[in-house]
Amino acid sequence: MVQINFANKEIQCKVVYYGPGMSGKTTNLEVVHQKAPQTAKGDLTSIATEGDRTLFFDFMPLDLGNIAGIKTKFQLYTVPGQVYYNSTRKLVLQGVDGIVFVADSQGDKIEECIEAIENLKTNLTEYGRDLETIPFVIQYNKRDLPGALPIEELQARLNPTGAPYFEAVAATGEGVFPTLKALASLVLESINRDKGDVPGSSARTGVSGPTRPAAAAAGPRRVAAAGPRRVAPKPVAAQAPAGRGPARATQKRPAGRQSAAAAVEAPSQPRARPAKRAEPMRRPAAKTGKVKIKERADKGRLMLVLAVAAVIIGAVGFVVLKFL
Amino acid sequence: MPKQMRQQTDAQLRESRLVFYKHDIQTIDSTLRDFLSRSKSKAALLVDKDGHLITQEGSTEKTDTDTIAALVAGCFAATREMARILGEDEFSALFHQGRKDNLQLSLVGTRTILGVLFDDTTTIGMVRLYAAETARKLSSTFRKIIARADADPTGGSSDIGAGFSEAAANTLENVFGE
Repeated sequence: MVQINFANKEIQCKVVYYGPGMSGKTTNLEVVHQKAPQTAKGDLTSIATEGDRTLFFDFMPLDLGNIAGIKTKFQLYTVPGQVYYNSTRKLVLQGVDGIVFVADSQGDKIEECIEAIENLKTNLTEYGRDLETIPFVIQYNKRDLPGALPIEELQARLNPTGAPYFEAVAATGEGVFPTLKALASLVLESINRDKGDVPGSSARTGVSGPTRPAAAAAGPRRVAAAGPRRVAPKPVAAQAPAGRGPARATQKRPAGRQSAAAAVEAPSQPRARPAKRAEPMRRPAAKTGKVKIKERADKGRLMLVLAVAAVIIGAVGFVVLKFL
Repeated sequence: MPKQMRQQTDAQLRESRLVFYKHDIQTIDSTLRDFLSRSKSKAALLVDKDGHLITQEGSTEKTDTDTIAALVAGCFAATREMARILGEDEFSALFHQGRKDNLQLSLVGTRTILGVLFDDTTTIGMVRLYAAETARKLSSTFRKIIARADADPTGGSSDIGAGFSEAAANTLENVFGE
């Protein structure tokens, strides 16, 4: 749900990229992270398996700055594409304000897309939400691949309600910004349209929904992103649904920031999709901590020995003095 | 979904919005400051279940609290699902132990999560004790807010200016225009 802080004049919106596995949701977010102005973007956090699949979600804050005096922030999420992770997919949809459905245009993926869109509707229903009342756009991705279906066919099968749609080649960055721009516009329009329904006013210095007060918002905004940050979980690739590997061998995502940049700069070149995403960043082993703990243990032992020695010397001295 | 039912659902969603007034936020911040002082913790974050940060107290200058808020909400949502599968209503507290810093998460009411960052200057027992007390205080504050919202469902009108749409279009063009 959109968080509006009238006292602090701040709006926070939650946008979710939804779609079947390997359709390009994370690639969309990587391109946004790559191309968005430095002052607008935060870090891209990705919780993914080592097998290149989103395990929980990818997250990136996007600060649009002041719009008519109101500080506007978008929080961009992607969901795991695999049915196997549906429970986490559902969790990310909680409180969503706008949805981009990233569809794979290839003919042999159409059934997966239909299944994913039905799954989206089901998951929204569980939160008492309806896709028809939420800002929603469709992105037909991978338009450059030879097996891509005609737009008319995709529209007929995936978009019977006539939601806005965009053609894209996310791996080269094409169509990514227009999609997000359209959705952001719909979300902001929906806020403006519903403004009479939004409780709170400047006279009351009220804020609608749980939100951040002026003092709390004073923390510095991190803008200088150092590239996608990967949170490396335990390898669970083996748990991914079997039998999909070979069909997806040619659909790998760009290998992190650098390859995405190269692809963006040369859109006319054939899609270069490296076989594997950049190795997730790992926490350095906590050796220092272990050493410190060991040092502390050694000190403790030494103190104990000294104390025992002092007691023994004292006792011997006492006995000697008594006999003398 | 029939239109009438859809309108009802939307109305329910609007009604479910919490309305915080400035003095509510001041009360919440004061409760958090008191908690930090008594438990000797470093920082406290109040996050809603959608992943938005409500408020924060303590030293969080070097922390990307927006991302932490999103991850805390995700973490708690996953835990809730585990609880459901195991036949529990909810796991009301979570603890993440680090080498230097630790993170304790406690459920406050039904919608918000209190995240506490602390190091070895205090103990998990102290933090848990005072976090439970703080969660009770904050729940009481939220109950008052909800009761007030029920008494005055209109809640006044917004002050989003008439020029918002136009300004939004310009901003989006500046940020996303290629």
